[in-house]
Amino acid sequence: MHRRNRRSLQVAALAAGTALLATACNAAAKQDDTTAATGGSGKSFTLVTPDAVGQNEFLKLAVSGIESAAKRHDGTRKVYESTDTASQQQNVQAAVDAAPDVIVLVGFEFADIVAQQAQKHPKQQFLIVDACTTKTYDNVSCAVFREHEGVYLAGAEAGLLSKSGKVGAVDVLDTPQFRRYSDPFAAGARKVAAKTETSTRFVGGQSPFDDSARAKEQANTLLSKGYDQIMAAAAAGNYGVFEAAEAKGAYAYGVDVNQCTSAPGTVVDNVVKRTDVAVEKGIESVLAGTTGTTVSYGLKEGGISLTGLEDGVDSSKCVIADHKDVLAKVEALRDQIVSGELTVDDPAAS
Amino acid sequence: MFLDPDLLMSALRALTPILLAALGGALCERAGVFNIGLEGMMLMGCFTSVATSWFTGSPWLGVLAAALAAAAYSLILAVGAVTLRGDAVVLGIAMNLLAVGLTSFLLRTVFGVQGTFDDPSLAGLPLIGGFTPLAYLSWAAVAVAALLLSRHVWGLRLRGVGEAPDAAATLGVRPASYQYGVILLSGVLCGLAGAQLALGNVTLFTENMTAGRGWIAVVAVMLGRAAPLGVLLAALLFGLAEAAGFRLQGLGLPQQATDAAPYVVTLGALFLTTARRRRRPRTRSSGARS
Repeated sequence: MHRRNRRSLQVAALAAGTALLATACNAAAKQDDTTAATGGSGKSFTLVTPDAVGQNEFLKLAVSGIESAAKRHDGTRKVYESTDTASQQQNVQAAVDAAPDVIVLVGFEFADIVAQQAQKHPKQQFLIVDACTTKTYDNVSCAVFREHEGVYLAGAEAGLLSKSGKVGAVDVLDTPQFRRYSDPFAAGARKVAAKTETSTRFVGGQSPFDDSARAKEQANTLLSKGYDQIMAAAAAGNYGVFEAAEAKGAYAYGVDVNQCTSAPGTVVDNVVKRTDVAVEKGIESVLAGTTGTTVSYGLKEGGISLTGLEDGVDSSKCVIADHKDVLAKVEALRDQIVSGELTVDDPAAS
Repeated sequence: MFLDPDLLMSALRALTPILLAALGGALCERAGVFNIGLEGMMLMGCFTSVATSWFTGSPWLGVLAAALAAAAYSLILAVGAVTLRGDAVVLGIAMNLLAVGLTSFLLRTVFGVQGTFDDPSLAGLPLIGGFTPLAYLSWAAVAVAALLLSRHVWGLRLRGVGEAPDAAATLGVRPASYQYGVILLSGVLCGLAGAQLALGNVTLFTENMTAGRGWIAVVAVMLGRAAPLGVLLAALLFGLAEAAGFRLQGLGLPQQATDAAPYVVTLGALFLTTARRRRRPRTRSSGARS
C-alpha cells in the first residue's frame, strides 16, 4: 500500500508541475499577444491592467485614456493585460525593463508591486490610478477618485424619485473607504427631501465582494421595510441587489460603469469612474514635472460622473433617461459642487 | 417588529443550499469519509447549472447537469480517499481550491467575462410558494436520509462500514462500494446545492460565489452529529443566525458584530451539545475512520 501511495504522489507532483509550467508559458504568451504598439517618435507610455480588458468597461476606459495620451504626444503606447497575481508582477517587470516615459497601472493590486519597483528604479515614472502606495515616492504619482461626490448626486436622484421617502444602500464593508458609497447617498437624498429616511446594510461575511446571494438578502431586508431606492455598492453582489429590487418593483443605483443593462427598468443611474480622464490628465501632470503627488478626480475634473449626466443617456437603458426633470435638478447640484458652493462630506477623510 | 415572516423566509432561503450540501456531508461522515470538499463541489454545481441553463434555456437541465458534474467532480475524493487511500482532508481542500480556479477559468473561456456572468435572460428556477422546488426537495431529502439510515438495511450497512469497516467486510459488505456510493451521492447533493444557489437564491454566476457555505455545511455536519435531523437543525440555526444578523444591522449594530452572529451561535451550540454529551456515556465511537 505504501509503495502504491508514493507512486501516486509522484504522479500527482508531476502533473502539478506540468500544470504550473503550462500556466507560466501561458502568462508569458499572453503578454506578447496583447502588446499592441503603435508607431510614432514622441513619448512612450505603458499601461498594465490587473485583469484582461475584454468587456471590462473600467479597463476599456483606461485603454482609451492611454490611447489619447499617445495620440496627443505623437507617441507610442503598450498595453499589458494581466490575468492573475503572477502575471501582474511579470507585466510590471516587463514594463520597467522597457523603460517607457510613464508606466500607468490601474488598481489597488499594483500598490505593493510598484512600491518595490519604484525604489529599485528611481528614474522610472509610475502613475497608479484608483489606488496609491502607502509610502510616498518621488517617482510615483497617484490618481484617485472622489466617488462620494457622484454618490451624493445619485442620492439626490433617489430622494427625488422615492415614493416611500425611504432610500437605502447595500455596501460591502463598514469601513470609512466603503462608506463613501453609502453615507453621501443618504446625504444627497436628504438634501433634496429633508424628511427622507435612510439606512445602510453591509454585506460582510466570508467573502463580502462576491457573495451576491448575501447581498440580495441584505437588499431584501431594506425592501421589506419599504425602502424603494437602493444604492448598490456591493461589488459582484450588485447583481443580487438588482435582482431583489427588480422582484419588488423597486429601483437601484450602480457603480463604476453603466450597470443599467444588467437590469433594464430597475437600475436608475450609475456613479461612473472616468478612468480615461484620470489616465490622460495624470500622464499630463507627470510629463509636466509634477510627480510624487496624489491628485484626486471628482465632478470638477470630470473624473467622476453619473451615466445620466454623460452623453448617450438615452441609449443607456437607464431609468433616469425618462426623468429629465430630475436630471435638471441634479445638474444644478453638480454645478454647485463643481463651483465649490456645496461640499460633500468625505467619510474617508481623517 | 423583529420576528416577522420575512425573517423566516430569509432564513429558509439561506438554509436550502447549506442543508443540501450538509446532508451529503453527513452521509459521507456516516460511511467513515470525512468530506470537506463540499464547498468545491457546490461551486462546480453553481457554474454548471448557470452554463447549462444559459445554453439550453432550461433551468431544469441546469439542475440535472449540476448534479452530474458535481458527482463527477466528487470522483476525485472517491478515487483518492477510497481506492488510493489518500488523506480525505487534503483531497477535500485540494478540491475546494481547484474548483475556485477551474470555474474562474471556465467563466473566462466559456463566457469571455471575468468576475460575474449575469444576463437578464438567464433562466432561473421557478418559485412555488416563495421557494424553489429544490427547497422542498431538500426537506424531503432529510426525511428520506433519516429513514434510510435508521430503518433500511442499506443504511445499517452504511453505518457498519463507517463504524467498523473490518467487521463489515467480514460480513460480506464491501466498504469501498458503500463509500463510493455516498461520495457520489454527496456530489449530487452538492450539485443541487450549487444549482439552488446560482439559479434559485440568485440567477447568476460569480467567482467563488459559494462564499464559505460549504464550510458552514461541514460545521453543520459536525454540530448535527451527522444525523439528518440534527444536520437540519444545525443548518437552520445558521440560516436564522444569518437572517437575524442582517436585521440587527438595521437596529444599528455594527456589521462586524452581526457578521459574528453565526459563529457565536456555533460556539454556543457546540458548547451546549458537548457539555450534554459528556455527561452521557458514549454509545457510538465517532473516531472509527479508515
